[in-house]
Amino acid sequence: MPDGSYERPQQRQFNPYSENGGTILAIAGADFSVIAGDTRQSEGYSIQTRYAPKVFRLTERAVLAVNGFAADGNMFVKKVKQRLEWYRHAHAKDMPLRAIARLIQTMLYAQRFFPYYVYNILGGIEEDGTGAVYSFDPVGSYEREACRAAGAAQSLVQPFLDNQIYFKNQTPAPGTNHPTHLPLPDVLSIVIDSFTSATERHIEVGDGLEIYVVLAKGRSTQELASIGGLQELSTRAEGDRMFVIRRDLKKD
Amino acid sequence: MDHFPTHWGRPRNELDDQYNTFPLHQRPANHTDTFANGVQRTQQPIVTGTSVLAIQYKDGIMMAADNLASYGSLARFKDITRLHAVGTSTVIGASGDMSDFQHIQRVLDDIVTDEFTAGDGNSLGPAEIHEFLARRMYARRSKMNPLWNSLLVGGFQNGKRFLAFVDLLGTTYSAPSLATGYGAHIALPLLRQSIDPNPDAVTEEAAREILRNCMRVLYYRDARSLDKYQIATVTEAGVTISDTQKLDTTWDFAENIRGYGAQTQ
Amino acid sequence: MSIMQYNGGSVIAMVGKDCVAIASDLRLGNQSLGISSNFEKIFAMTERTYVGLPGLATDVTTLHEQLRYRLNMYTIKEERTMEPETFIHLVSSTLYEKRWGPYFIEPVLAGMQKTPSGAFRPFVASTDLIGCINFAKDFVVAGTASEKLFGVAEGLWEPDLEPEDLFETISQTLLNAVDRDAYSGWGAVVHVITKDKVVKRTLKGRMD
Repeated sequence: MPDGSYERPQQRQFNPYSENGGTILAIAGADFSVIAGDTRQSEGYSIQTRYAPKVFRLTERAVLAVNGFAADGNMFVKKVKQRLEWYRHAHAKDMPLRAIARLIQTMLYAQRFFPYYVYNILGGIEEDGTGAVYSFDPVGSYEREACRAAGAAQSLVQPFLDNQIYFKNQTPAPGTNHPTHLPLPDVLSIVIDSFTSATERHIEVGDGLEIYVVLAKGRSTQELASIGGLQELSTRAEGDRMFVIRRDLKKD
Repeated sequence: MDHFPTHWGRPRNELDDQYNTFPLHQRPANHTDTFANGVQRTQQPIVTGTSVLAIQYKDGIMMAADNLASYGSLARFKDITRLHAVGTSTVIGASGDMSDFQHIQRVLDDIVTDEFTAGDGNSLGPAEIHEFLARRMYARRSKMNPLWNSLLVGGFQNGKRFLAFVDLLGTTYSAPSLATGYGAHIALPLLRQSIDPNPDAVTEEAAREILRNCMRVLYYRDARSLDKYQIATVTEAGVTISDTQKLDTTWDFAENIRGYGAQTQ
Repeated sequence: MSIMQYNGGSVIAMVGKDCVAIASDLRLGNQSLGISSNFEKIFAMTERTYVGLPGLATDVTTLHEQLRYRLNMYTIKEERTMEPETFIHLVSSTLYEKRWGPYFIEPVLAGMQKTPSGAFRPFVASTDLIGCINFAKDFVVAGTASEKLFGVAEGLWEPDLEPEDLFETISQTLLNAVDRDAYSGWGAVVHVITKDKVVKRTLKGRMD
C-alpha cells in the first residue's frame, strides 16, 4: 500500500523440497547387473559439489541408486539400510532383491502424503542368479525391467537405451533374433556413452561417474580385467561379487 | 475424557444442534484446542548473517565469516561472532537466521556437556556434529518448521580433515572448498581455483591470505557484509578462533564512477 | 501448456561426408488428440536447401509461404539461387521482424553450400522462434522431442558418415526419440541431400 502498510499479512510459504540434478541408470544382464550415476550435486545453476555419491551398496548383491532431492535421497537410503540391518539380525541372512524392492515400495508409499522427492533404481542379483533392475516412482509404483534411466537427463538417455538395449526400431537379419541380454563389455560401453552424451548436452550432469557392477555367483570376472579405475567391494570371492568403476566426466 | 457428567450427552458441535438448543460456546471447555488459532511456524529469517567461507589446507581446515548480523538492510549488530567451536576438534559457521543459530549453539553445547559428563573418554568429532546437525535440520524441515540457516562444519579428527555443509532443507555435501550465500557465487570460484587441485599444497599462511582476499571481494560486492571478520582454524592442535580483524580496502576508484561520488555534471 | 507444444512435431538435421540429411515426423495433433499422420513439415526451398518448420501448424504454412515469397523475390532480383547460409539469415531476419509477436516455429535447415571453387559442402543450422541462429558442425534438432533427439543423436552420430550410413543414423535417432514423445511420431520422412541428388524416404513408425 502507498502508506507503507500491507493490505494483508505477507505469507512466504516455506518449500521443503529442492532438486539437486544428476542422472542415474541401471541395466540388467543375464547374470549381472550394472548400476551407475554421475557424482555432481547442484542446485539451480550452482554446483554444490563435484563428488556426492548417488549409488549405494545395500547388500552383497543389491545396489540402490537415488536421484532427485538429495536430502530426501540420503535419508531414504539411510532408512532402507537400517531396515536391511534389522532383517539381518532377525533372519541371519541378507534380504533377497525382490523383497528389498517390495520394502522400498512400502517405505515410499508410507510417505504418500509428504513424499520422498526421489526416483529410485534398484539393481542386483535375484535369488535365482539372474540380473535384475527395479525402478520406482517417488510414491512407490515399481516394476522389474531390463534397463532404466532416471533423473535430469532421463529424456536424453532413455530413448538411446530403448535403441541400444531393447533394439527398438531395429529389424534383425532374416532368420535371426535380437539377444535378450547383452554381454557385460557392451553394457559398460553403452553406460559410459550414455553419460558422456548426457554430460555434453545437460548442464546438471558431469564431474564424475560411478558404475557399480554386480556379478552372479560363479561368473567369470575376466571381462572386467581390462577396465581402468576398477575396485572390488565384495569381501568373499565365492559368492556374488561387486565392483565399482570410477571415471571422470567433463567438469564444465 | 470429559469428567463433567453434566456435559455428557450434549451435542459436540453446532451441526448436531442446528436450532441452538444448547449454547455450545457457553459450555466450559476442559481441554485446550491445539488448532484454535492455527499453528504458527517459521516464517522467514529476521536477523541474518551473510556468507561463510571454508577451505581444507595442509594442516586442517580454515573458516571465515564477518561480524555482521543484519536486520533486513540495516546493519544491526556489528560485533556478532558467527563462528562457534563445538568441543575440541570442530568449528561451525552459520549464515541465515541468527536466533536459530543461537538455538543451535545452545543445543550443541548441551550435547558437548552431556558427552563430557558421561566421562567415558569419548568425544564428538566434526563428522558426528555434522551428522547430528543434518538430522536435526532435516527433522525440522520435515515438520515444516525449519531452522533457517546454511551451516558449514569443519574439523580435524584422527589425523583427517573434515569439511561439510548442511542447510535448512537438510541438504548435505562435502568438498575441499565450501561457501554459503553470496560466497557460493562470488568467492567459491576463487577458492576452488586455489584449493581444489591440491589442498595439501596450501600452507596456513597461504590459506589465510586466500580467505582474506575472498572476504575483501565479498565486502566490495555483498551489500550485507562487513569489513570486520574472524578466521577459525582447526588442526591437530585444536580449534582457534581469531580476534576480529579489519579488511584493508581502497575506495579511491569510486570518485571516477558516474553516480557513485559527487559528480560535477 | 505452451503454444509450441499445441500441434506437436519434431525435426532433426545431420551433417555427413559430402551429404546432409533432414528428417521429421508426420504427426499433426490438437494437444493429445492426433489429427493427421501425413503432415509434412519439411519443405524444399531450393534444389539443395531444405527447411523443417516444427511448431504451431498454422505458422508452419504461413512462414513457409512467407519464406517462399522472399526467396522468389531474391531469385528474381539477383538472378541466382540462394545458398543455404544466406537462406538461414533470411529465416532469421524474417523471424526477428516479428520479435514481439513471433511465429511459433523453430526452423531447422539442411543444405549443400556452394564453395568458391564450385564444389559443395554440407551445411546445417537452426534458429529459435525469434531468429537466433545456431550454426552447428554436427547436428541440429527442434520440436517437442528435442531433448530426446539431443540425447540419441549425441550417442549415435559420428563424423563423415556416407549417405547410406547417415540415412540409417538420422532415421534411428528420429524414430527412437519420437517413440518417447507423446506429441511426435505417427510416421516419419527423411531427406538425404547430396550435391547431385536428393533421396526422400518415408519411414513406417509406431502409430501409438
